[in-house]
Amino acid sequence: MTDALYEVRNISKNYGAVTALDNVSMKVRAGEIVGLVGDNGAGKSTLVKCLSGVHQPSSGEILLDGQERHWRSPHDAIQAGIETLYQESGLAPQLSVGANVFLGREEMKPGILGKLGFLAQKSMDARAHADLERVGIAVPSSNRSIAQLSGGQRQAVAIGRAVAWASKIIILDEPTNHLGARQAGEVLHVMRAARDQGLGVIFISHTLPHVLEVTDRIVVLRLGRVVKDAPTSTFDQESLLGTITGLIAD
Amino acid sequence: MAASAPAAHPKTASRLRELVSNQTFVLFLVWIAMVVFFTAANHIFFSSDVAGNILADWGPLMLVATAETFVIISGGIDLSVGAITGLSGVVAAFAMQDMTTAGQGATLTLIVGLLVCIGVGLLVGLINALLINYARLVPFIATLVTLGAGEGLSIVFTGGAPIGGGPPQAISLSVPWLGPFSTPVLVVVAITIVCWLYLHKAKFGRYTYAFGSNSFATRAAGISTKKQITKIYMLSGLLSGLAGMFFYLRLGSGAPTTGAGLELDAIAAVVIGGAALSGGVGRLSGTIMGALILTTVTSGLIIIGVAPNWKQVVVAVLIALAVSIQALRRGEGKAS
Repeated sequence: MTDALYEVRNISKNYGAVTALDNVSMKVRAGEIVGLVGDNGAGKSTLVKCLSGVHQPSSGEILLDGQERHWRSPHDAIQAGIETLYQESGLAPQLSVGANVFLGREEMKPGILGKLGFLAQKSMDARAHADLERVGIAVPSSNRSIAQLSGGQRQAVAIGRAVAWASKIIILDEPTNHLGARQAGEVLHVMRAARDQGLGVIFISHTLPHVLEVTDRIVVLRLGRVVKDAPTSTFDQESLLGTITGLIAD
Repeated sequence: MAASAPAAHPKTASRLRELVSNQTFVLFLVWIAMVVFFTAANHIFFSSDVAGNILADWGPLMLVATAETFVIISGGIDLSVGAITGLSGVVAAFAMQDMTTAGQGATLTLIVGLLVCIGVGLLVGLINALLINYARLVPFIATLVTLGAGEGLSIVFTGGAPIGGGPPQAISLSVPWLGPFSTPVLVVVAITIVCWLYLHKAKFGRYTYAFGSNSFATRAAGISTKKQITKIYMLSGLLSGLAGMFFYLRLGSGAPTTGAGLELDAIAAVVIGGAALSGGVGRLSGTIMGALILTTVTSGLIIIGVAPNWKQVVVAVLIALAVSIQALRRGEGKAS
Protein backbone atom coordinates (compact mmCIF):
# COMPACT_ATOMS: atom_id res chain seq x y z
CA MET A 1 0.00 0.00 0.00
CA THR A 2 1.28 3.41 -0.87
CA ASP A 3 -0.54 5.44 1.76
CA ALA A 4 1.53 4.16 4.67
CA LEU A 5 3.48 6.89 6.48
CA TYR A 6 5.70 4.47 8.37
CA GLU A 7 6.05 0.82 7.54
CA VAL A 8 8.14 -2.23 8.34
CA ARG A 9 8.28 -5.10 5.86
CA ASN A 10 9.29 -8.61 6.85
CA ILE A 11 11.64 -7.58 9.60
CA SER A 12 13.25 -10.16 11.85
CA LYS A 13 15.42 -9.70 14.89
CA ASN A 14 17.56 -12.42 16.38
CA TYR A 15 19.49 -12.32 19.62
CA GLY A 16 21.91 -15.16 19.11
CA ALA A 17 19.73 -18.22 18.72
CA VAL A 18 16.62 -16.46 20.01
CA THR A 19 14.24 -15.03 17.41
CA ALA A 20 12.46 -12.06 18.97
CA LEU A 21 10.78 -10.92 15.74
CA ASP A 22 9.97 -13.25 12.88
CA ASN A 23 9.07 -11.71 9.54
CA VAL A 24 6.98 -8.90 10.97
CA SER A 25 5.19 -6.41 8.71
CA MET A 26 3.05 -3.52 9.88
CA LYS A 27 2.27 0.04 8.92
CA VAL A 28 0.72 3.23 10.19
CA ARG A 29 -0.88 5.96 8.12
CA ALA A 30 -0.88 9.67 8.82
CA GLY A 31 -3.77 10.54 11.14
CA GLU A 32 -4.14 6.97 12.36
CA ILE A 33 -3.67 5.32 15.74
CA VAL A 34 -2.49 1.74 15.46
CA GLY A 35 -2.62 -0.46 18.55
CA LEU A 36 0.18 -2.96 19.00
CA VAL A 37 -0.77 -5.69 21.43
CA GLY A 38 0.53 -9.06 22.52
CA ASP A 39 1.39 -11.09 25.56
CA ASN A 40 4.68 -10.69 27.43
CA GLY A 41 7.49 -11.89 25.21
CA ALA A 42 5.46 -11.43 22.04
CA GLY A 43 8.11 -9.05 20.72
CA LYS A 44 6.39 -5.69 21.21
CA SER A 45 9.31 -3.98 22.90
CA THR A 46 11.78 -5.36 20.38
CA LEU A 47 9.61 -4.07 17.55
CA VAL A 48 9.39 -0.67 19.24
CA LYS A 49 13.18 -0.55 19.52
CA CYS A 50 13.55 -1.38 15.82
CA LEU A 51 11.02 1.31 14.92
CA SER A 52 12.81 3.90 17.05
CA GLY A 53 16.36 3.08 15.96
CA VAL A 54 17.58 1.64 19.28
CA HIS A 55 18.01 -1.77 17.64
CA GLN A 56 18.73 -2.61 14.03
CA PRO A 57 16.62 -5.46 12.62
CA SER A 58 18.57 -8.54 11.50
CA SER A 59 16.69 -8.48 8.20
CA GLY A 60 13.79 -6.70 6.51
CA GLU A 61 12.97 -3.16 5.47
CA ILE A 62 11.91 0.00 7.27
CA LEU A 63 10.14 2.62 5.14
CA LEU A 64 9.22 6.18 5.99
CA ASP A 65 7.10 8.03 3.43
CA GLY A 66 7.65 5.10 1.09
CA GLN A 67 11.43 5.40 1.21
CA GLU A 68 13.64 2.75 2.70
CA ARG A 69 15.52 3.97 5.77
CA HIS A 70 18.25 2.54 7.98
CA TRP A 71 18.42 3.87 11.50
CA ARG A 72 21.94 3.53 12.86
CA SER A 73 20.90 5.06 16.17
CA PRO A 74 17.88 6.72 17.84
CA HIS A 75 19.37 9.99 16.66
CA ASP A 76 18.63 9.11 13.02
CA ALA A 77 15.00 8.26 13.73
CA ILE A 78 14.51 11.38 15.84
CA GLN A 79 15.95 13.50 13.05
CA ALA A 80 13.44 11.95 10.66
CA GLY A 81 10.52 12.99 12.89
CA ILE A 82 9.93 9.80 14.86
CA GLU A 83 9.48 10.25 18.60
CA THR A 84 9.30 7.37 21.03
CA LEU A 85 8.07 7.09 24.57
CA TYR A 86 9.77 4.06 26.07
CA GLN A 87 8.42 1.78 28.71
CA GLU A 88 11.68 2.27 30.58
CA SER A 89 11.76 5.83 31.74
CA GLY A 90 12.98 8.08 28.97
CA LEU A 91 13.49 10.94 31.40
CA ALA A 92 16.51 11.92 33.45
CA PRO A 93 15.04 12.27 36.97
CA GLN A 94 17.68 14.68 38.28
CA LEU A 95 17.22 17.12 35.42
CA SER A 96 14.51 19.75 35.25
CA VAL A 97 11.35 19.47 33.19
CA GLY A 98 12.73 21.99 30.71
CA ALA A 99 16.07 20.17 30.43
CA ASN A 100 14.27 16.90 29.75
CA VAL A 101 11.96 18.32 27.11
CA PHE A 102 15.00 19.70 25.30
CA LEU A 103 17.37 16.78 25.99
CA GLY A 104 19.44 16.19 22.87
CA ARG A 105 17.98 19.29 21.19
CA GLU A 106 19.32 22.01 23.43
CA GLU A 107 18.85 25.59 22.45
CA MET A 108 22.10 27.52 22.68
CA LYS A 109 22.67 31.09 23.75
CA PRO A 110 22.96 33.49 20.81
CA GLY A 111 26.35 34.52 19.50
CA ILE A 112 29.75 33.57 20.83
CA LEU A 113 28.44 32.13 24.13
CA GLY A 114 26.33 29.65 22.22
CA LYS A 115 29.31 28.66 20.08
CA LEU A 116 31.23 28.05 23.29
CA GLY A 117 28.53 25.60 24.35
CA PHE A 118 26.39 27.63 26.73
CA LEU A 119 22.67 26.92 27.02
CA ALA A 120 19.74 29.30 26.66
CA GLN A 121 18.07 27.86 29.76
CA LYS A 122 15.41 30.52 30.33
CA SER A 123 14.25 30.38 26.76
CA MET A 124 14.11 26.57 26.89
CA ASP A 125 12.14 26.61 30.14
CA ALA A 126 9.61 29.01 28.66
CA ARG A 127 9.29 27.06 25.44
CA ALA A 128 9.02 23.74 27.28
CA HIS A 129 6.18 25.18 29.33
CA ALA A 130 4.44 26.48 26.21
CA ASP A 131 4.95 23.20 24.34
CA LEU A 132 3.52 21.13 27.16
CA GLU A 133 0.52 23.44 27.49
CA ARG A 134 -0.11 23.30 23.76
CA VAL A 135 -0.20 19.53 23.97
CA GLY A 136 -2.69 19.86 26.80
CA ILE A 137 -0.46 18.93 29.70
CA ALA A 138 -0.29 21.01 32.84
CA VAL A 139 3.08 20.79 34.55
CA PRO A 140 3.77 22.92 37.62
CA SER A 141 7.07 24.52 36.63
CA SER A 142 9.71 23.93 33.99
CA ASN A 143 12.60 24.27 36.39
CA ARG A 144 11.41 21.58 38.79
CA SER A 145 13.33 18.35 38.57
CA ILE A 146 11.52 15.28 37.30
CA ALA A 147 12.21 13.52 40.61
CA GLN A 148 9.94 16.05 42.33
CA LEU A 149 6.94 15.18 40.14
CA SER A 150 4.32 12.50 40.67
CA GLY A 151 4.27 9.42 38.44
CA GLY A 152 1.40 10.85 36.40
CA GLN A 153 3.14 14.18 35.94
CA ARG A 154 6.34 12.45 34.85
CA GLN A 155 4.48 10.45 32.26
CA ALA A 156 2.76 13.63 31.12
CA VAL A 157 6.12 15.31 30.57
CA ALA A 158 7.44 12.31 28.65
CA ILE A 159 4.39 12.23 26.40
CA GLY A 160 4.34 15.98 26.03
CA ARG A 161 7.97 15.93 24.93
CA ALA A 162 7.33 13.22 22.37
CA VAL A 163 4.25 14.95 20.94
CA ALA A 164 5.88 18.36 20.93
CA TRP A 165 8.84 17.15 18.88
CA ALA A 166 7.28 14.51 16.63
CA SER A 167 6.76 15.68 13.10
CA LYS A 168 5.66 12.34 11.62
CA ILE A 169 5.39 9.40 13.97
CA ILE A 170 4.89 9.00 17.66
CA ILE A 171 5.43 5.64 19.34
CA LEU A 172 4.06 5.18 22.85
CA ASP A 173 5.14 2.05 24.74
CA GLU A 174 2.76 1.43 27.65
CA PRO A 175 2.05 5.13 28.26
CA THR A 176 -0.91 4.48 30.58
CA ASN A 177 0.95 2.10 32.90
CA HIS A 178 0.84 3.04 36.58
CA LEU A 179 -1.61 5.87 35.87
CA GLY A 180 -4.95 6.54 37.53
CA ALA A 181 -8.12 6.48 35.46
CA ARG A 182 -8.26 10.24 35.03
CA GLN A 183 -4.60 10.56 34.02
CA ALA A 184 -4.93 7.63 31.63
CA GLY A 185 -7.90 9.42 30.09
CA GLU A 186 -5.71 12.49 29.57
CA VAL A 187 -3.08 10.37 27.85
CA LEU A 188 -5.70 8.97 25.47
CA HIS A 189 -6.88 12.51 24.81
CA VAL A 190 -3.33 13.60 23.94
CA MET A 191 -3.03 10.66 21.55
CA ARG A 192 -6.24 11.64 19.74
CA ALA A 193 -5.01 15.21 19.49
CA ALA A 194 -1.75 13.99 17.95
CA ARG A 195 -3.70 11.90 15.43
CA ASP A 196 -5.91 14.86 14.56
CA GLN A 197 -2.77 16.87 13.83
CA GLY A 198 -1.95 14.27 11.18
CA LEU A 199 0.70 12.28 13.06
CA GLY A 200 0.89 8.53 12.81
CA VAL A 201 0.53 7.06 16.30
CA ILE A 202 1.65 3.61 17.42
CA PHE A 203 0.20 2.67 20.78
CA ILE A 204 1.55 -0.34 22.66
CA SER A 205 -0.46 -1.44 25.66
CA HIS A 206 -1.62 -4.31 27.82
CA THR A 207 -4.71 -2.38 28.81
CA LEU A 208 -7.15 -3.67 26.22
CA PRO A 209 -10.04 -1.29 27.00
CA HIS A 210 -7.70 1.65 26.25
CA VAL A 211 -6.59 0.04 23.01
CA LEU A 212 -10.18 -0.63 21.94
CA GLU A 213 -11.23 2.87 22.90
CA VAL A 214 -8.61 4.90 21.09
CA THR A 215 -7.15 2.96 18.15
CA ASP A 216 -8.26 2.76 14.55
CA ARG A 217 -6.53 -0.51 13.83
CA ILE A 218 -4.96 -3.25 15.94
CA VAL A 219 -1.93 -5.39 15.20
CA VAL A 220 -1.63 -8.50 17.36
CA LEU A 221 1.80 -10.05 17.96
CA ARG A 222 2.31 -13.52 19.30
CA LEU A 223 5.73 -15.17 19.78
CA GLY A 224 7.40 -12.68 17.47
CA ARG A 225 4.89 -12.90 14.60
CA VAL A 226 1.95 -10.80 13.49
CA VAL A 227 -1.10 -13.00 13.93
CA LYS A 228 -3.75 -10.40 13.14
CA ASP A 229 -3.95 -6.92 11.64
CA ALA A 230 -7.51 -5.60 11.42
CA PRO A 231 -9.67 -2.51 12.04
CA THR A 232 -10.49 -1.99 15.70
CA SER A 233 -14.23 -2.19 14.94
CA THR A 234 -13.84 -5.89 14.14
CA PHE A 235 -12.70 -6.68 17.69
CA ASP A 236 -14.38 -6.79 21.03
CA GLN A 237 -12.54 -7.34 24.28
CA GLU A 238 -13.14 -11.06 24.26
CA SER A 239 -12.04 -11.67 20.67
CA LEU A 240 -9.00 -9.44 21.14
CA LEU A 241 -7.95 -11.31 24.25
CA GLY A 242 -8.55 -14.60 22.47
CA THR A 243 -6.35 -13.52 19.56
CA ILE A 244 -3.56 -12.40 21.90
CA THR A 245 -3.49 -15.63 23.87
CA GLY A 246 -4.08 -17.85 20.85
CA LEU A 247 -7.34 -19.26 22.12
CA ILE A 248 -8.96 -17.98 18.93
CA ALA A 249 -7.43 -19.48 15.84
CA ASP A 250 -5.70 -17.05 13.46
CA MET B 1 3.26 24.67 51.97
CA ALA B 2 3.71 28.41 51.73
CA ALA B 3 0.03 28.87 52.60
CA SER B 4 0.36 27.06 55.93
CA ALA B 5 3.45 29.07 56.93
CA PRO B 6 2.82 32.03 59.22
CA ALA B 7 1.79 34.69 56.76
CA ALA B 8 4.35 37.47 57.36
CA HIS B 9 7.36 36.52 55.19
CA PRO B 10 6.75 33.21 53.48
CA LYS B 11 9.32 34.06 50.82
CA THR B 12 12.05 34.82 53.35
CA ALA B 13 11.21 31.65 55.23
CA SER B 14 11.41 29.47 52.16
CA ARG B 15 14.61 31.12 51.09
CA LEU B 16 16.06 30.42 54.52
CA ARG B 17 14.95 26.80 54.29
CA GLU B 18 16.54 26.55 50.86
CA LEU B 19 19.80 27.97 52.21
CA VAL B 20 19.92 25.52 55.11
CA SER B 21 19.27 22.60 52.80
CA ASN B 22 22.02 23.82 50.47
CA GLN B 23 25.02 21.53 50.91
CA THR B 24 27.55 24.17 49.88
CA PHE B 25 26.22 26.66 52.41
CA VAL B 26 26.26 24.10 55.22
CA LEU B 27 29.83 23.16 54.29
CA PHE B 28 30.77 26.82 54.31
CA LEU B 29 29.48 27.07 57.90
CA VAL B 30 31.42 23.92 58.83
CA TRP B 31 34.55 25.42 57.30
CA ILE B 32 34.10 28.70 59.21
CA ALA B 33 33.64 26.70 62.42
CA MET B 34 36.89 24.85 61.69
CA VAL B 35 38.79 28.07 61.10
CA VAL B 36 37.43 29.49 64.36
CA PHE B 37 38.29 26.30 66.24
CA PHE B 38 41.86 26.04 64.93
CA THR B 39 42.46 29.74 65.52
CA ALA B 40 41.19 29.45 69.08
CA ALA B 41 43.48 26.47 69.63
CA ASN B 42 46.49 28.27 68.17
CA HIS B 43 46.30 31.86 66.95
CA ILE B 44 49.15 31.24 64.47
CA PHE B 45 46.59 29.41 62.34
CA PHE B 46 44.94 32.69 61.33
CA SER B 47 47.76 34.01 59.16
CA SER B 48 48.56 34.61 55.53
CA ASP B 49 51.36 32.01 55.69
CA VAL B 50 49.05 29.24 56.82
CA ALA B 51 46.39 30.34 54.33
CA GLY B 52 49.06 30.19 51.61
CA ASN B 53 49.94 26.66 52.67
CA ILE B 54 46.33 25.55 52.71
CA LEU B 55 45.79 27.03 49.25
CA ALA B 56 48.94 25.36 47.94
CA ASP B 57 47.48 22.03 49.13
CA TRP B 58 44.06 22.99 47.84
CA GLY B 59 45.24 23.80 44.29
CA PRO B 60 46.17 20.33 43.02
CA LEU B 61 43.45 18.65 45.08
CA MET B 62 40.89 21.03 43.53
CA LEU B 63 42.09 20.17 40.03
CA VAL B 64 41.66 16.42 40.49
CA ALA B 65 38.49 16.89 42.57
CA THR B 66 37.00 18.97 39.73
CA ALA B 67 37.88 16.14 37.37
CA GLU B 68 36.29 13.66 39.75
CA THR B 69 33.16 15.83 40.04
CA PHE B 70 32.44 15.55 36.32
CA VAL B 71 33.18 11.83 36.35
CA ILE B 72 31.09 11.06 39.43
CA ILE B 73 28.13 13.15 38.21
CA SER B 74 28.28 11.09 35.00
CA GLY B 75 27.82 7.98 37.16
CA GLY B 76 31.43 6.85 36.80
CA ILE B 77 34.58 6.98 38.88
CA ASP B 78 38.18 7.80 37.98
CA LEU B 79 40.72 6.04 40.18
CA SER B 80 43.60 7.05 37.93
CA VAL B 81 43.70 10.80 38.69
CA GLY B 82 46.50 10.46 41.25
CA ALA B 83 48.52 8.15 39.01
CA ILE B 84 48.13 10.62 36.12
CA THR B 85 49.29 13.43 38.40
CA GLY B 86 52.42 11.47 39.31
CA LEU B 87 53.16 10.17 35.82
CA SER B 88 52.70 13.51 34.07
CA GLY B 89 54.91 15.24 36.63
CA VAL B 90 57.63 12.64 36.15
CA VAL B 91 57.55 12.67 32.34
CA ALA B 92 57.51 16.48 32.29
CA ALA B 93 60.39 16.53 34.78
CA PHE B 94 62.52 14.42 32.43
CA ALA B 95 61.69 16.73 29.51
CA MET B 96 62.50 19.84 31.53
CA GLN B 97 65.72 18.29 32.86
CA ASP B 98 66.85 17.55 29.29
CA MET B 99 65.99 21.03 28.06
CA THR B 100 67.71 22.71 30.98
CA THR B 101 70.83 20.59 30.46
CA ALA B 102 70.75 21.59 26.79
CA GLY B 103 70.72 25.23 27.87
CA GLN B 104 67.17 26.14 26.90
CA GLY B 105 65.52 29.14 28.58
CA ALA B 106 63.35 28.68 31.65
CA THR B 107 60.14 30.04 30.10
CA LEU B 108 60.22 27.78 27.09
CA THR B 109 61.19 24.82 29.27
CA LEU B 110 58.27 25.39 31.64
CA ILE B 111 55.85 25.78 28.74
CA VAL B 112 57.04 22.49 27.28
CA GLY B 113 56.72 20.91 30.73
CA LEU B 114 53.14 22.16 30.96
CA LEU B 115 52.32 20.82 27.50
CA VAL B 116 53.85 17.44 28.37
CA CYS B 117 51.69 17.25 31.52
CA ILE B 118 48.60 18.10 29.48
CA GLY B 119 49.56 15.56 26.81
CA VAL B 120 50.16 12.73 29.29
CA GLY B 121 46.89 13.55 31.03
CA LEU B 122 44.87 13.59 27.81
CA LEU B 123 46.49 10.35 26.66
CA VAL B 124 45.70 8.41 29.83
CA GLY B 125 42.20 9.92 29.84
CA LEU B 126 41.73 8.70 26.28
CA ILE B 127 42.91 5.22 27.27
CA ASN B 128 40.35 5.22 30.10
CA ALA B 129 37.61 6.21 27.64
CA LEU B 130 38.64 3.52 25.14
CA LEU B 131 38.64 0.87 27.87
CA ILE B 132 35.15 1.94 28.94
CA ASN B 133 33.65 2.45 25.48
CA TYR B 134 35.19 -0.39 23.52
CA ALA B 135 36.69 -2.92 25.95
CA ARG B 136 33.43 -2.57 27.90
CA LEU B 137 35.15 -2.27 31.26
CA VAL B 138 33.20 -0.49 33.97
CA PRO B 139 34.87 2.82 34.93
CA PHE B 140 36.05 1.43 38.27
CA ILE B 141 38.02 -1.37 36.59
CA ALA B 142 39.17 0.68 33.59
CA THR B 143 40.67 3.37 35.80
CA LEU B 144 42.02 0.81 38.27
CA VAL B 145 43.98 -0.59 35.32
CA THR B 146 45.43 2.82 34.41
CA LEU B 147 46.04 3.61 38.08
CA GLY B 148 48.23 0.52 38.37
CA ALA B 149 49.93 0.99 35.03
CA GLY B 150 50.50 4.71 35.60
CA GLU B 151 52.00 4.30 39.08
CA GLY B 152 54.09 1.39 37.84
CA LEU B 153 55.44 3.35 34.89
CA SER B 154 56.32 6.32 37.09
CA ILE B 155 58.47 4.09 39.29
CA VAL B 156 60.00 2.26 36.31
CA PHE B 157 60.94 5.55 34.63
CA THR B 158 62.46 7.11 37.74
CA GLY B 159 63.71 4.15 39.71
CA GLY B 160 61.65 5.60 42.53
CA ALA B 161 63.62 8.82 42.96
CA PRO B 162 62.37 12.36 42.32
CA ILE B 163 63.54 13.93 39.05
CA GLY B 164 64.93 17.42 39.47
CA GLY B 165 67.35 19.42 37.39
CA GLY B 166 64.72 21.60 35.75
CA PRO B 167 64.72 25.38 35.61
CA PRO B 168 65.40 26.79 39.10
CA GLN B 169 62.77 29.47 38.46
CA ALA B 170 60.04 26.83 38.77
CA ILE B 171 59.76 27.03 42.54
CA SER B 172 59.68 30.81 42.65
CA LEU B 173 56.47 30.68 40.60
CA SER B 174 54.78 29.01 43.57
CA VAL B 175 55.49 31.88 45.97
CA PRO B 176 52.28 33.68 46.98
CA TRP B 177 52.19 37.25 45.79
CA LEU B 178 48.53 38.22 45.99
CA GLY B 179 47.92 37.75 49.71
CA PRO B 180 48.08 33.99 50.18
CA PHE B 181 47.54 33.36 46.45
CA SER B 182 50.36 32.20 44.20
CA THR B 183 50.15 32.21 40.40
CA PRO B 184 49.41 28.45 40.17
CA VAL B 185 46.65 28.81 42.78
CA LEU B 186 45.13 31.71 40.83
CA VAL B 187 45.23 29.58 37.69
CA VAL B 188 43.39 26.81 39.56
CA VAL B 189 40.77 29.35 40.66
CA ALA B 190 40.30 30.44 37.04
CA ILE B 191 40.08 26.83 35.82
CA THR B 192 37.55 26.06 38.54
CA ILE B 193 35.36 28.96 37.42
CA VAL B 194 35.48 27.83 33.79
CA CYS B 195 34.66 24.26 34.83
CA TRP B 196 31.78 25.52 36.96
CA LEU B 197 30.36 27.33 33.93
CA TYR B 198 30.71 24.25 31.74
CA LEU B 199 29.21 21.94 34.34
CA HIS B 200 26.23 24.07 35.25
CA LYS B 201 25.54 26.34 32.27
CA ALA B 202 26.68 24.50 29.17
CA LYS B 203 25.63 21.56 27.04
CA PHE B 204 28.68 19.56 28.15
CA GLY B 205 27.55 19.67 31.77
CA ARG B 206 23.93 19.03 30.83
CA TYR B 207 24.89 15.81 29.06
CA THR B 208 27.15 14.84 31.95
CA TYR B 209 24.21 15.08 34.37
CA ALA B 210 21.84 13.42 31.90
CA PHE B 211 24.14 10.44 31.39
CA GLY B 212 24.62 9.98 35.13
CA SER B 213 20.92 10.41 35.77
CA ASN B 214 19.62 8.00 33.12
CA SER B 215 22.02 6.66 30.53
CA PHE B 216 19.23 4.94 28.57
CA ALA B 217 17.22 8.15 28.29
CA THR B 218 20.33 10.02 27.18
CA ARG B 219 21.02 7.54 24.40
CA ALA B 220 17.35 7.43 23.44
CA ALA B 221 17.37 11.22 23.13
CA GLY B 222 19.88 10.77 20.33
CA ILE B 223 22.97 11.80 22.29
CA SER B 224 26.23 9.97 21.61
CA THR B 225 27.11 8.65 25.03
CA LYS B 226 30.46 7.29 23.84
CA LYS B 227 31.53 10.75 22.76
CA GLN B 228 30.40 12.17 26.08
CA ILE B 229 32.34 9.52 28.05
CA THR B 230 35.45 10.22 25.97
CA LYS B 231 35.20 13.95 26.66
CA ILE B 232 34.63 13.46 30.39
CA TYR B 233 37.57 11.10 30.94
CA MET B 234 39.89 13.19 28.76
CA LEU B 235 38.93 16.27 30.76
CA SER B 236 39.67 14.29 33.90
CA GLY B 237 43.08 13.33 32.52
CA LEU B 238 43.80 16.91 31.46
CA LEU B 239 43.02 18.33 34.91
CA SER B 240 45.06 15.59 36.59
CA GLY B 241 47.99 16.39 34.29
CA LEU B 242 47.73 20.03 35.33
CA ALA B 243 47.87 18.87 38.95
CA GLY B 244 51.15 17.15 38.03
CA MET B 245 52.54 20.47 36.82
CA PHE B 246 51.26 22.21 39.96
CA PHE B 247 53.22 19.78 42.14
CA TYR B 248 56.31 20.19 39.97
CA LEU B 249 56.22 23.95 40.44
CA ARG B 250 55.78 23.52 44.16
CA LEU B 251 58.48 20.91 44.71
CA GLY B 252 60.87 21.71 41.87
CA SER B 253 60.90 18.07 40.91
CA GLY B 254 58.64 15.30 39.65
CA ALA B 255 58.37 12.38 42.05
CA PRO B 256 56.65 9.06 41.25
CA THR B 257 54.88 9.10 44.62
CA THR B 258 53.46 12.60 44.20
CA GLY B 259 49.92 11.65 43.34
CA ALA B 260 49.70 8.51 45.46
CA GLY B 261 46.35 8.40 47.23
CA LEU B 262 45.25 11.68 45.68
CA GLU B 263 42.27 9.95 44.07
CA LEU B 264 40.87 9.08 47.50
CA ASP B 265 41.13 12.68 48.70
CA ALA B 266 39.49 13.82 45.47
CA ILE B 267 36.62 11.36 45.84
CA ALA B 268 36.28 12.41 49.50
CA ALA B 269 36.08 16.08 48.50
CA VAL B 270 33.40 15.32 45.90
CA VAL B 271 31.33 13.16 48.22
CA ILE B 272 31.58 15.63 51.10
CA GLY B 273 30.53 18.25 48.56
CA GLY B 274 27.23 16.45 48.08
CA ALA B 275 27.65 14.38 44.93
CA ALA B 276 26.18 10.89 44.82
CA LEU B 277 28.29 8.02 43.51
CA SER B 278 25.15 6.76 41.76
CA GLY B 279 25.42 9.72 39.40
CA GLY B 280 23.28 12.65 38.31
CA VAL B 281 23.77 14.60 41.55
CA GLY B 282 26.41 17.08 42.67
CA ARG B 283 27.61 20.67 42.46
CA LEU B 284 31.09 21.95 41.81
CA SER B 285 30.59 24.53 44.58
CA GLY B 286 30.19 21.60 47.00
CA THR B 287 33.46 20.10 45.78
CA ILE B 288 35.24 23.44 46.24
CA MET B 289 34.16 23.48 49.89
CA GLY B 290 34.91 19.77 50.28
CA ALA B 291 38.48 20.25 49.06
CA LEU B 292 38.92 23.37 51.19
CA ILE B 293 37.69 21.56 54.30
CA LEU B 294 40.07 18.62 53.71
CA THR B 295 43.11 20.83 53.25
CA THR B 296 42.13 23.07 56.18
CA VAL B 297 41.84 20.03 58.46
CA THR B 298 45.28 18.82 57.37
CA SER B 299 47.01 22.11 58.14
CA GLY B 300 44.94 22.78 61.24
CA LEU B 301 45.73 19.48 62.91
CA ILE B 302 49.45 19.97 62.31
CA ILE B 303 49.36 23.49 63.75
CA ILE B 304 47.49 22.54 66.90
CA GLY B 305 49.95 19.69 67.37
CA VAL B 306 47.77 16.70 66.67
CA ALA B 307 49.47 13.77 64.93
CA PRO B 308 48.77 14.15 61.18
CA ASN B 309 47.39 10.62 60.96
CA TRP B 310 44.31 11.88 62.79
CA LYS B 311 43.45 13.63 59.53
CA GLN B 312 42.31 10.30 58.07
CA VAL B 313 39.97 9.81 61.02
CA VAL B 314 38.52 13.31 60.72
CA VAL B 315 38.03 12.85 56.97
CA ALA B 316 36.31 9.53 57.55
CA VAL B 317 33.90 11.12 60.01
CA LEU B 318 33.21 13.98 57.59
CA ILE B 319 32.40 11.57 54.75
CA ALA B 320 30.06 9.55 56.95
CA LEU B 321 28.29 12.72 58.12
CA ALA B 322 27.98 14.26 54.66
CA VAL B 323 26.58 11.13 53.08
CA SER B 324 24.17 10.30 55.88
CA ILE B 325 22.83 13.86 55.93
CA GLN B 326 22.19 13.50 52.21
CA ALA B 327 20.46 10.15 52.62
CA LEU B 328 18.31 11.47 55.46
CA ARG B 329 17.32 14.49 53.41
CA ARG B 330 16.36 12.29 50.47
CA GLY B 331 14.28 10.10 52.75
CA GLU B 332 12.54 13.21 54.08
CA GLY B 333 11.81 14.34 50.54
CA LYS B 334 10.22 11.00 49.75
CA ALA B 335 8.05 11.00 52.83
CA SER B 336 6.51 14.40 52.09
